[in-house]
Amino acid sequence: MPYHLFKCSESIPEREKHSVIKGPGEDITSALPLGYLNTIPGSLSERGCAYCGAKHVIGTPMKDVIHMSHGPIGCTYDTWQTKRYISDNDNFQLKYTFATDMKEQNIVFGAEKMLKKNILEAFKAFPTMKRMTIYQTCASALIGDDIGAIADEIMEEMPDVDIFVCNSPGFGGPSQSGGHHKINIAWMNQKVGTVEPEITSDYVINYVGEYNIQGDQEVMQDFFKRMGIQILSTFTGNGSYDDLRGMHRAQLNVLECARSAEYICNELRVRYGIPRLDIDGFGFEPLSSSLRKVAMFFGIEDRAEAIITEETARWKPELDWYKARLTHKKVCLWPGGSKLWHWANVLHEEMGIDIVSVYTKFGHQQDMEKGISRCEEGALAIDDPNELENMEAMETLEPDIILTGKRPGEVAKKVRVPYLNAHAYHNGPWKGYEGWVRFARDIYNGIYSPIHKLSLLDISKDEIPTDVGFETQRMLSDVNLSDEVKNSTILREYTGEYDCIKGLRDKIYPEYLTKKVSEAV
Amino acid sequence: MDDLTKDRVEQLIDCIMKKCLWQFHSRTWDRERQNENILRMTTQILCDEAFDAKTLEDKCYWVDAVCLADDYKKKFTWLLGIEKSEIKLIMQEVKNRLDYLTITGSLNEELNDPLY
Repeated sequence: MPYHLFKCSESIPEREKHSVIKGPGEDITSALPLGYLNTIPGSLSERGCAYCGAKHVIGTPMKDVIHMSHGPIGCTYDTWQTKRYISDNDNFQLKYTFATDMKEQNIVFGAEKMLKKNILEAFKAFPTMKRMTIYQTCASALIGDDIGAIADEIMEEMPDVDIFVCNSPGFGGPSQSGGHHKINIAWMNQKVGTVEPEITSDYVINYVGEYNIQGDQEVMQDFFKRMGIQILSTFTGNGSYDDLRGMHRAQLNVLECARSAEYICNELRVRYGIPRLDIDGFGFEPLSSSLRKVAMFFGIEDRAEAIITEETARWKPELDWYKARLTHKKVCLWPGGSKLWHWANVLHEEMGIDIVSVYTKFGHQQDMEKGISRCEEGALAIDDPNELENMEAMETLEPDIILTGKRPGEVAKKVRVPYLNAHAYHNGPWKGYEGWVRFARDIYNGIYSPIHKLSLLDISKDEIPTDVGFETQRMLSDVNLSDEVKNSTILREYTGEYDCIKGLRDKIYPEYLTKKVSEAV
Repeated sequence: MDDLTKDRVEQLIDCIMKKCLWQFHSRTWDRERQNENILRMTTQILCDEAFDAKTLEDKCYWVDAVCLADDYKKKFTWLLGIEKSEIKLIMQEVKNRLDYLTITGSLNEELNDPLY
């Protein structure tokens, strides 16, 4: 078993079983780190808590909802606005966050009355909002406030409002993943089946595990609408509370992030017989294959093929421009959970990038099974890494860029390793054909920014070269390229708009008659 | 298994492990169901056998099977030059190997959790 113990973790020997190197001939039956376990004391984890996983990752991307935390204000503040899950209703869920602001006196005397007061105030302050989610925190869980009872009281007094209660305190699991699980099951138990949705198409899906980071959901929604497929609900990015109550009427669950949302898909399959289709929205080939599968499920393959042909012709020359300049660049792929397997193989295949390491902060062994399988030999896989391990990995692997969250990312910058924000993106969306080119552009800009070279010089002691002029990204990236590639009339840099989402919101889509209507005609 | 068959099985397995997600559902019983149905249908497609997906569940297996079979035909042209009986033999070995990698030989400690 090729376990790997970092030198910096020799004083925490239990850490050894959380890292492996994929050696020649190794597979996941001989190389799989432990995962989804409590962080080992002494290891400074980068994980979030189960409250954060429930509220920040899954709950709050819902767009037409007052999201209230029952706890200290810090819990809410620290889970607000750090992921760019935009929406098409003026970003209500990003602009506002709500908290009951529990203090010591509430811990002693209880906070249920205060919670009720806060709920009423919030609905009064935003009279058009009729839906609310309430998130339990460690503080309110420990004193035993009955949030469900208060929510029931309010719903009885205000029949036009509906409230969802999520009991996922921070300590409710080893990481944010515990919260993903809890909110999935809670939504299933409390809300699915409580609204009968309007069905407008013969082809009806739930789009699950998609959080509309910088517009990802809207890009994918565009493809589905062009095929005449009705997205009954999106769990949960740009998703509507009442749409999500009607999930039980879909014919197919299309699952993107299995790490955060496979639970609800599995339950929908068992309880309502809706099958689960796992897809990849990142990268030309995986996305094309995904659109093809969804279309094939409904017997409308021609509609998917038309989109694939059009989008590939439009964007492939731009992807290949970046691929020529990114080939054999070394990347540490260090996201939270699912992106390590969404991106591991396709970055290598479609951008020429070598993945030298994958890690997951909160993933389970299942995520590592997928990620390690998709990596090439020699990759270092780490579960729940600490900051010192990251530093050691960067020193030994010498990556050209790391794709990670902003906490480890800012640390990387200090040692002159550029990073991209894998959770909230830089210039996303990164899904879709155009999005994948935008991702390539962000990687290119990160690696070839002249600032990294300049910042390595210490003006207090290094000799500053005076015989070298100003260097641009192109000068750095094209230095070893052949003239054929450099002067290609086919390949080109990204030519899309600054905001590629805006146009989608006013777009008019083809109308496909449903079988019922066309038979009547 | 002779070396040639072994090599061919590994090529087909590598394609599944790098390109597909359906083999990694979270529990043992789901992985058994997925592997069994999708690989059975893939074999039927590769052997030009008719298949009629009647239920939503069958359709879901079928779309993954069609995409895998297409991928196989495109990448592994040797598949087009061998007898159907040989395809069936190789696909049975693929199934055995995939079951080992994802179920019986898996180190994933959550596979047998009775709840989702």
